[in-house]
Amino acid sequence: MNRTPALIALVIAAAVLLAAGPMVLPPFYVRVGQLMLYSAGLGLAWGILGGFAGYASFGHAAFIGVGAFIAGLVENQFSTLPTALLLPVGLLAAAAACAILSALIAYPILRLRGTFFAIAMLGVSHVCAEVTNNIDFFQGSMGLNFPPIAPAGMDPANFFYELYLAGALLILLTAWQIKRSRFGAGLLSIREDEDTARMLGVPTERYKRTAFVISAVLTGLMGVIYAHSLGYITTDSVYRDDTNLSLIVYSLLGGMGTLFGPVIGAFLLVFITQVILGRLLDFHLFATGLLLVLLILAAPGGVSGLLKRRKTA
Amino acid sequence: MGLIAQTLADGLVLGGIYALAAVGFSLIFGVLHVINLSHGILVLMGAYLALIFSEALHIDPLLCLPAVMAVLFCVGYCYQRYLIQHAVDRASINSMLLTFGVALMLQNAMIWLFSPDMKSITPSYAFASFKLGPVNFDAVRVSALIASLVLLSLLAAFLRYSPMGRVIRATAQQTLAARLCGVNVRHVYALTFAVSAAFAGAAGIVIGIILPFSPNDEGTWTLNAFVVVVLGGVGSPAGALIGGLLLGLVSTLTAQYVGPAFPNVTMFLLLVILLLIRPQGLLGNAFSASR
Repeated sequence: MNRTPALIALVIAAAVLLAAGPMVLPPFYVRVGQLMLYSAGLGLAWGILGGFAGYASFGHAAFIGVGAFIAGLVENQFSTLPTALLLPVGLLAAAAACAILSALIAYPILRLRGTFFAIAMLGVSHVCAEVTNNIDFFQGSMGLNFPPIAPAGMDPANFFYELYLAGALLILLTAWQIKRSRFGAGLLSIREDEDTARMLGVPTERYKRTAFVISAVLTGLMGVIYAHSLGYITTDSVYRDDTNLSLIVYSLLGGMGTLFGPVIGAFLLVFITQVILGRLLDFHLFATGLLLVLLILAAPGGVSGLLKRRKTA
Repeated sequence: MGLIAQTLADGLVLGGIYALAAVGFSLIFGVLHVINLSHGILVLMGAYLALIFSEALHIDPLLCLPAVMAVLFCVGYCYQRYLIQHAVDRASINSMLLTFGVALMLQNAMIWLFSPDMKSITPSYAFASFKLGPVNFDAVRVSALIASLVLLSLLAAFLRYSPMGRVIRATAQQTLAARLCGVNVRHVYALTFAVSAAFAGAAGIVIGIILPFSPNDEGTWTLNAFVVVVLGGVGSPAGALIGGLLLGLVSTLTAQYVGPAFPNVTMFLLLVILLLIRPQGLLGNAFSASR
C-alpha cells in the first residue's frame, strides 16, 4: 500500500494551516509557535546525522552559533544593501561557514563512534563558544546587533514565525528526499552496522561526511533566523548546552531515526515546557531531566515507537 | 626559571586533583561501559556534604573524608542498582542520556537546596604556605594533592590485590566469562558504581578546599573527567593519574603562556590529536566502544 501521496497532502495541509496561524493566534501562542517550528527544524537537521546515520551529536549548537555570528558579521559589512537582500546574504555566508567548518572537522571527528562522537561534538561546541567569546573580531562577549529585516507593515513576530516555518519545511523536504534515496539507505545501513555496510561496498566515510555537512549547514541556517529574531546575540544566547541536549530529546521523544519523530518531539517538548510548565521556571531543568529519565526507562522508541508497538500488538 | 618551575608545580598539583576527580568516571566506564554524565554531580555532592559536616562539627574538612565517602558509596550503590541497571544493556547512548537526566534533576535540586551562589570550604590552614627553592606551595593545595595521591594508591591496591578488586577487573575484561564463573555481575556493577561514587565524593572535598564551587560547575567536572580518561586510558587509576597530570600541566601552561581564556581550546585540540594517533589513551586497553 502506498501512503506517500496521502502523507504529502497531509503535510501540505498542515503547512497551510500553520502558515495561517499568526492571523488567528494570540501573540503568546505565536511565540510558542515560533519556538516549536525552530525546534522542529533543528531536530530534523540533527536527525539527518543523528537519527538516520546513528551518529548522535551532542554539540550541534556549534553550528547555530557559527551560523549566527558569521551571518551577523557579514551582514554588518554589507549594511548599505537593501533590507530585502540582507537575509539571503547572511544565509549564504552562514551556509558557507558551516559547510567549511563541518567538512574540516568531519574527518577526525567521524572516526569516533557512539558516545565518543557525542562528547567530542560537545567539545567542538564549547571550543567554538570560547573562541567566539575571546577573540574580539567575533564580538561574542560584547554582543552583535542584527539589522531589522521584517518588511514594513508586518508584525516582526509574525514575519519570523513564517520564516521559521519556511526553514522547517525546507529541512523536512531535504530530510524526506534523503530518507527515500540511495544515500538515505546507506545512512541507515551505517546506523545498523557500519562495518558490515562498509564491507558490502557502501561508501560509509563519504556518506557520513556528506550527512554531517548537510546537517551542519541546515542547522546553521536555522541559527541565522534565530539570531535575527533575537535582534542582538552574545555567545551565551546561541551556544547553549540546553539546545545541545534538546536536539537529542526531540528525537528520543518522537522516535529516533523516523522522519516525523523530531517534529513530534519538538512540538510536544516545547508545549510541555512553555505552556504547561510556563509558570514554573525554577522547575524547568528538573522537569526536563525527569522526562528524559522516564522516556529512557519506559519508552525508548519514543512516541512513534509506542504507536508502532500498538499496531503490531 | 622561577616562573616556569612555579607553573609546572601548580600544574602538577592541579593535575593530581583532576586525576582523583576522574578515576571514578574511568572505573565506571571501564567496567560498565557507561558514560556517567552525572559524575560531576557526585563530585559536587561530596563538596557540599563536606561543607555541611565540617561546619556542623567544626572539624577539618579532610577529616570528613570517611563519612562523605561512606554516604556516597551507599548513594552510588542504590543509583546503579535501581536506576542505571535498567539501561545498561541497551544502546550506550541510552544510559548516557539517563545519567544526564539525573544530572539535570539533581543540579536543579542543588540549586534549591544550596542556592546557585559560589561556596567554598576554608580549613584553618587556608593561608599558610611554604617555599621549596624558588617555588611557592600553599599548604591547602599540597594537602589536597597528598590526599588525592593516597586515595589513588589505595584504589589501585584495592583493584590489584583484594578478591573484590579481582572480580571487578575480571568483569571489566569479559563480562560473560565472569558471569559463567559465578560472578554476580549486577552486584559487581553496583559495587563498582559505589566505589566510583565514593571516590568522586572524596574528590569533591579536595576540590572544595582549593576552589570555590557552585551547582553550575557539574558540567565542567564531568567534561574534565572525560578528557582525563581519554588522555590516560580507561579503567585504571594509573591511566587516570597520567591523564590528570597531563591535563593539569597543559591547562596551567596555556593559561600562563597563551592566555587565561584558552585552556579549554588547547585541551580539546590535544584530545582530538590523541584520539587520532592513539585512540586507546596513553596507557590502557583499546576503547572497544569507540571504534
